[in-house]
This record gives sequence, C-alpha cells and structure tokens, in this order.
Amino acid sequence: MTGPLLELVNVHAGYQGRSVLHNISLTIPEGSFTTIIGPNGHGKTTLLRCISGLIPLSEGDVIFDDAPLKNLRADQIVERGIVHVPQGDIIYPDMTVRDNLLMGAYLPSVSADADKLLGEVHRIFPRLAERRNQIASTLSGGERRMLSIGRGLMTGGRLLMIDEPSLGLAPVVVDQIYEVVADFKKQKRTIVLVEENASRVMELADAIILIDNGQIVWQGAPDELMTHTEIVETYLGG
Amino acid sequence: MDTFVQILVSGLTLGAMYALSTIALSLVWGSLNMLNMAQGALLTIGGYISFAAITYLGFPLFLGLVTAAGTGVLLGLAMYFGIIRFMFEKDGFETNVIIATIGLAMMMENIVLKAFGAYPFQQPFAVDGGFRLLDVHIPYQNLVIIGVSVGMMVATAWLLGHTRLGRAIRATAQSREAALLNGVPVRRIFAQVLALSGLLAAVSGVMLSSITTLAPTMGYDPLLKAFIICVIAGLGNVAGALYAAFLLGMFEAGVQYFLGVRFGFPALLLLVIIALIWRPYGVFNRRKVARL
Repeated sequence: MTGPLLELVNVHAGYQGRSVLHNISLTIPEGSFTTIIGPNGHGKTTLLRCISGLIPLSEGDVIFDDAPLKNLRADQIVERGIVHVPQGDIIYPDMTVRDNLLMGAYLPSVSADADKLLGEVHRIFPRLAERRNQIASTLSGGERRMLSIGRGLMTGGRLLMIDEPSLGLAPVVVDQIYEVVADFKKQKRTIVLVEENASRVMELADAIILIDNGQIVWQGAPDELMTHTEIVETYLGG
Repeated sequence: MDTFVQILVSGLTLGAMYALSTIALSLVWGSLNMLNMAQGALLTIGGYISFAAITYLGFPLFLGLVTAAGTGVLLGLAMYFGIIRFMFEKDGFETNVIIATIGLAMMMENIVLKAFGAYPFQQPFAVDGGFRLLDVHIPYQNLVIIGVSVGMMVATAWLLGHTRLGRAIRATAQSREAALLNGVPVRRIFAQVLALSGLLAAVSGVMLSSITTLAPTMGYDPLLKAFIICVIAGLGNVAGALYAAFLLGMFEAGVQYFLGVRFGFPALLLLVIIALIWRPYGVFNRRKVARL
C-alpha cells in the first residue's frame, strides 16, 4: 500500500489528430472508488479508452502497479489487471449468454477458474443464469448491460472501469445495476466509474474527478464538491 | 431414379468443393472485413504444389495433399505479415485490401505460369476406378472429394464451436473491441484466420484440379462461385454458406444435366440476381454481416 494503483501523468490523447484530452494527471489508490463526471462529449470515455489501450496516448504515460503501460496493446493491458466495461452494449451478439461470459475469462490466468467465476456472476445477476443459453442479441437493454458488466467481472483484475452503466436504461433497471455497483464498494474493489448522472454516485464515491473540455477542472472528495456552489450549479444542475 | 442419383452425386461433389472455398472466403470476411481476391490464386497454388510434390518429389498421394495444405498455411501467414498487418487498422481498408489482393493474385498466378507453364497437367491426387449404383457410374474420386471436404468442414466447425481459439475467432468477428478488452490478441487471431483460410483454399484447389485439370487461371471460377454463394448466404455467415454451397451445387448439376453444361453458370447468375432482388441481405436475411 505505498504508491497508487494507477497513475496518469500529463496524458494527452485524441482521435486522428484531433486532440481530446489535455494534460490529464490523476492517481487512483488501491481499494478506492473514483467517479469521473462531466458533460457529454468532453472526454470521459476517451480517458477510459486511453487507460485500457484502445486509443494511443499522444503524450504522457499511464502507470499501473509501478509499470508504464504506454507501449502495450489493449490485450496486454487487460493481462496486467485493468478491466474495462465499455460504454453501450459491446457484447458478442451471436454468442450465447454463457459463451459471452466465458469470453470474459479468456485470459489463461483466469480461464482455469471460469466455472467458479461463472457461478459468482450468476449469483450477482440471476437473470443471466436464467438466460444462459439464449443468444445475446435477444436480450433486453438491461440484460445486455448486466452481461457486459458480468463479463468484466469474469476477468477479475485489480482495477475495474465501468463506463456509464446507467446509460439508456429504465430507472428500475438502473437501481438494480447500482445495487451491484454498491456491492463492489463494500468488497473494497478498486473502481473507476464514469457517470453523467452525478447524483447517483455521490454517496458511493471516495473521490470525484470532474472533466470538462478534455481537462480536469476539479478533483476531490464528494462533500467538498458540494461546497463549491459554482461547480454544482454549472455541472450538476444546481 | 438414375438421373436423380447422377445429379445427386455430381451436385454433392460440386457443392463440397464450393463449400470449402466459400468457408475460407467467409471466415476472412467475417473476422477481418476483408474480401480476399487472392483466394483463387491460393487455390491454384494448392493444386500445383500437390502436383509438384507427388510428381517431381515422389511423395505419396496423401502427403501431397498435406504439403499443399501446409503451403496454404504458410501463404496465409505470409499474406498477413507481408501485407494485411500494415493495412487493417487504416482507413479505407475494406477497399484497399481488394486492390491489394487482386495484385497479389496476379503475381501468384504469373509465378505459377512461369514455374509450370500453361500446360494443363493432370492432378495426380486422384483415385482411379469407381462403382455402379443403380446403373450410374460413380468414380471413387468423387467420394474422396466429398469425404475430404466434409471432413475439413466438420473440423472447421468443431474448431470454431468448441475450442478456445474458435471462440476467440468468433468473438473477434462479432466485436473486435470487446475481444481486445477480454485480452484476445486480435492481430494473432487475424494471422491464424488467414492461415486457416489458406489451408482450406489449398485443399479445395487439390480437390478441384483432381476432376478438371491444373491451369494457372483455375482459381477464378471457384472464387467467383464462392462469391455467388456468399452473396446468397450473406457474407460472413459460415453456416449459411454451407447450405447455399450444397444447394447451388445441386442446382448447377441439375441445370447441367437437363439443359447442358454451358447453361450451368448463367443459371447460377440468374439465381443470384433473383436472390438479391428478393433478399438483398442474403436468403437467410442476416442484416448484420460479419458474424461467425
């Protein structure tokens, strides 16, 4: 418990020459729950994609568990222990629910435990157990989100990053998803959660990072954030 | 009844050969979004390698087939490491790769022409003789073709459906990003898919040349037929391609029997036109392509 689990140092990144993230520096301690908030289209998702290696850094470095990730491919970064549940429903549409989950345990380091992990995910999301032999494209939106998160859980890892788990879901389903997320906090997992709907995560988060226009405009503890009325008014709708 | 048996046997033989080269084409499209125009040339080289290994090196027949298959694997890998690796992450890959593989096909075809000449050699991988079934003469070679092709298809289906590599190939085809995030080394998967498709193409080249003759341009016809089958089944739909291959093989054999050999191909084209008007996404109506 010395250095942080994840550290970003002056990270710049973008898509095809268009710069999106500017000079992002942050640290994520082991066992902490960090929420990244901010308006849509201002780089929250890009930040996660940078960390998991889906897009290259143009400057700076990402350090995970004291090792730089800069020149690693996405599949190598997962092996190091960073699990990314991407935005939307990036599932394998023509595979069964079971095969989708088993893909989460693709890495040799976890594939031996696949059955045990599958049982664990089924316990967390009983709906996925009921639908284990169903083709994933026939699932409802909420079930797909569960599948996507469940697949991330299969990979295990030391850092779990979830991108907008409530996006586009009915409120009752969002409640179910957040019950599960709240359990992650109780288990002291290291979590980075991107969420636009900040009110949902205020009581969960240990730290809040506010991103606007590709830059970190504020970071600190949630109660501290509430004292900054101008930030609350601008970004959290008063 | 004789007529039926006759059409059935030649239809199954044609279908089996078509199915092999179609699977190869469909696999590569499904996982890489890559139309491999060099598929026909791979098939040609497969045929010639088996010929050269058996005739010049005195290999036993079976070993000739294995040598051809091995060459197919190497050519598939060479294609990935020499060309595709530099292209697939760039914009316009789907169009560029068509041009690149057409060029590659021409090169390979001319190398074959230079090495072997245009003389129509006989494929030595062939079993003589046959038997009679209800007054119809059935050459053993047809059974060999059907047997080898079906065996390869079953093996491919087993690989895709029941192995860790197969699951990773399907995952990569269905969502490249999700596969990466699950730790699948996507580039290695691409190389493996091209190797597998090279193997299937080379074997289908040996089969095809065993009932026709070897020629440097022999790959075009099966490539075209593989395209037709893919169009009918929906590109990237491997299971659909299998049904379509056998169906079209039967259809072609029937047309050839009743109307004459020269009507076989035009009839296929007519069928494709009708199929595309009726079901633009393939007769199995799978709007989303690239699914293995």
